[in-house]
Amino acid sequence: MSVRHRKTTTLMLVAILLLSVILGCAKQEDTPASTSMNGAANEKSITLSWPRDIGTMNPHVYNPSQLFAQSMIYEPLVSYKQGGKLEPALAESWTISKDGKTYTFKLRKGVKFSDGTPFNAAIVKKNFDAIMKNDKTHSWLGVVGVLDKTEVVDDSTFRLTLKEPYYPVLQDLSVVRPFRFLGEAGFPDDGDTSKGIKKPVGTGPWMLDEYKQDEYATFKRNPNYWGTAPKVDKIIVKIIPDSETRVMAFEKGDLDLIYGEGVISLDAFKQLRDTDKYVTKLSDPVGTRSLLLNSSNPKLSDLRVRLALQHGFNKQAMVEGVTSGLEEKADTVLSKNYPYTNVDLQPVGYDVEKSKALLDEAGWKLPAGGTVREKDGQQLDFELIFDKTDPIQKAMAETIQAEWGELGVKVNLTGLELTVQIKRLRSNQFDLYFWYNYGAPYDPHSFINVIAKKSFGISEVLSALPMKKNLDQQVHEALSSTDETKRQELYASILKTLQEQSAIVPISYIKKTAVYQKKITNFVFPANRDENPFDGIEIGK
Amino acid sequence: MISYIGKRMIAVIPIVLFATLVTFALIHISPVDPAEAYLTAAHIYPTPEILEQKRHEFGLDQPLLTQYMQTLQRISRLDFGTSYLTNKPVWDEVKVRLPATAELALSSMLLSIVVSIPLGVLAAIRKNGWIDMLSRGVSYVGASIPQFWLGYLLIFFFSVRLDLLPVEGRGTWQHLVLPTLTLSFVLIALYTRLLRSSVLEQLQETYVQYARTRGIRERIIMLKHVLKIAIAPLITGMGMNLGKLLTGTIIVEQVFSWPGFGRYFVEAIFNRDIPVIQCYVFLAACLFIVCNLLVDLVHLYMDPRISAKGRAER
Repeated sequence: MSVRHRKTTTLMLVAILLLSVILGCAKQEDTPASTSMNGAANEKSITLSWPRDIGTMNPHVYNPSQLFAQSMIYEPLVSYKQGGKLEPALAESWTISKDGKTYTFKLRKGVKFSDGTPFNAAIVKKNFDAIMKNDKTHSWLGVVGVLDKTEVVDDSTFRLTLKEPYYPVLQDLSVVRPFRFLGEAGFPDDGDTSKGIKKPVGTGPWMLDEYKQDEYATFKRNPNYWGTAPKVDKIIVKIIPDSETRVMAFEKGDLDLIYGEGVISLDAFKQLRDTDKYVTKLSDPVGTRSLLLNSSNPKLSDLRVRLALQHGFNKQAMVEGVTSGLEEKADTVLSKNYPYTNVDLQPVGYDVEKSKALLDEAGWKLPAGGTVREKDGQQLDFELIFDKTDPIQKAMAETIQAEWGELGVKVNLTGLELTVQIKRLRSNQFDLYFWYNYGAPYDPHSFINVIAKKSFGISEVLSALPMKKNLDQQVHEALSSTDETKRQELYASILKTLQEQSAIVPISYIKKTAVYQKKITNFVFPANRDENPFDGIEIGK
Repeated sequence: MISYIGKRMIAVIPIVLFATLVTFALIHISPVDPAEAYLTAAHIYPTPEILEQKRHEFGLDQPLLTQYMQTLQRISRLDFGTSYLTNKPVWDEVKVRLPATAELALSSMLLSIVVSIPLGVLAAIRKNGWIDMLSRGVSYVGASIPQFWLGYLLIFFFSVRLDLLPVEGRGTWQHLVLPTLTLSFVLIALYTRLLRSSVLEQLQETYVQYARTRGIRERIIMLKHVLKIAIAPLITGMGMNLGKLLTGTIIVEQVFSWPGFGRYFVEAIFNRDIPVIQCYVFLAACLFIVCNLLVDLVHLYMDPRISAKGRAER
């Protein structure tokens, strides 16, 4: 063979190889996704998108499993409803001993897991034990720290005993993870669910049907569900990481529903709302965007300075400008839709003159010809750290910098990666910081807990308040009190102190957004921030 | 020739070692402790005891040199550890996703070759003609348009407005069209200009004039003589770009929800999933080295003078 021929043959071989690789890869025409997503014509299904893969669907572990999907399959003993009302779920009723240390749950009878096996006290205990085997992992949840023992009283009675009274036990049991129940068939041989489960078996209204990692997951109705069956047959979740793509898939009609927190940009939400072709909804507040003024910084330890800063920026204008009015101006750190938070508190309004007067009074004066206030040769300057990937935080930080600049307060902005930002919060290395509370069902008890408990960063922020010790004492009493009236009084006092001290400055209430095609009816945001809204949804004509 | 290849292969080893060292160093000078990153990714509150426990588990309490040697040992077994996020072996996760990325990279490479070779040659032959203008326009736009934006534009027109192709996902050949177009656009821009100028350069050479005076047809001159030489810089470009393509599909995978390696990596960065980042950087380094080597070998094959030169120098 001549050299030329050899070359041509080799090149051809390479080309054929390349082509076969591509064709081999592309030859997967009918994937389960394309067949099942078109589905049977009479099947009622809803397609939505989620930014991340639904994860392993293990009820007892956290990332990467997605909360909304876990809440479709697994159920709690007690369910959290609007306004903080606790309703029976897998527990039909419960009694709390007088000393607040023993909780006895009467389990709902006749409940079956999706595989047909019975739900009883033994499986409840098995789940609790598996969770408590890794109690360090769950130490963030108050009940984990006070849980002493679990008992099977009889087939349908389960008892929890605490080391000390802790009132939010039921709220903690209503959260999506870890206290939800996996069926026997899902447990690994050694019973340690922290390493993985065999299959997702729950008692919830849905069960996982088809799943392809990073691409899609479909859920169908659980035929053994004890409650009212969902109206639609199927929920299809497409994994679309990019928010603009998500919006375009929705506009094309590939998606019926986009729902969640920050799943599409506020601009996109507004644009979809303005077309009038779809239904758009905003939820009640699910959390508060606040600014922490670190009182352990000597300049910020002065109440007058903190108050001046809060008086010194126009929250209303900022919320309208930066979030297009989709978040609501916040006057109090906790919105009033949680238990115990409907307290009459005096808002700290926008008042530039008052702000300037307070700074003057605190001794921070503008030097002749200068733009930054000074005291004892020191400038009034602060570092505001923010998550550089969050466009809202960035815009708000810039607005605050400009508004406080007018008052003679210099703000240096530092954009950080989220992990570094959290690290700085926990090690108390910051002046000003954007912070969010946890939402329902975690608040208000988780909120007051971090006020008193060190190492979350919030207790440290408040450390220089003169009444800090008293505040901590009140928090402890509120969490362990068994007297409802006393608890309400304590909450009112704690919230009043925080409002007056102005170290946690509320900016806006964050809301969930939902956009859906007009054929969908009965969409209601769940009261629990992490749960799913699918059970009541219907499809009209 | 064999000794040349052998020498080049041996030279790869220190480069790969250097890549592992850089990755290792980058992770250790980063302000976030891997143990803390693990706990944050798993949504576990980092209490001092659990941090200590994890640091011990990951071997982070060992001296740096020991840690590095252990890393090397593991990498040599293709063991990149367990993902902080999914708790599954990183290599298994990568293996599943690589075919999707390779599919996208190869189809883009193929499309760019199919389009840019005729376009580049025609632009050179018909210099300043309409086809040259068109190629200039394509190159200008291709080089300056951000890929994610081009992706959105294509989705908007072809999927939302015209309803011809799916918006996102993978599975059928239709799913492949838009991401391939997006990825190959910039390559077409690059290769067309590269080929145009190198063909123009060759057309000035005396051997072309000689061939013409011998009365050889223009088409034969172009295909048998000019193109063979003019294509050399294109091969270099393609070789370098294959590595870039395999690692650079990140944005396109994100926009088109393509379940590939790049998207997995983006999530790893956001969650500080260090074993995944380490694996990605290592594989990217290896890919670039291999592509570089391949380019050189193809050059050697096309122009044996290269190895002859090597021999002469010895």
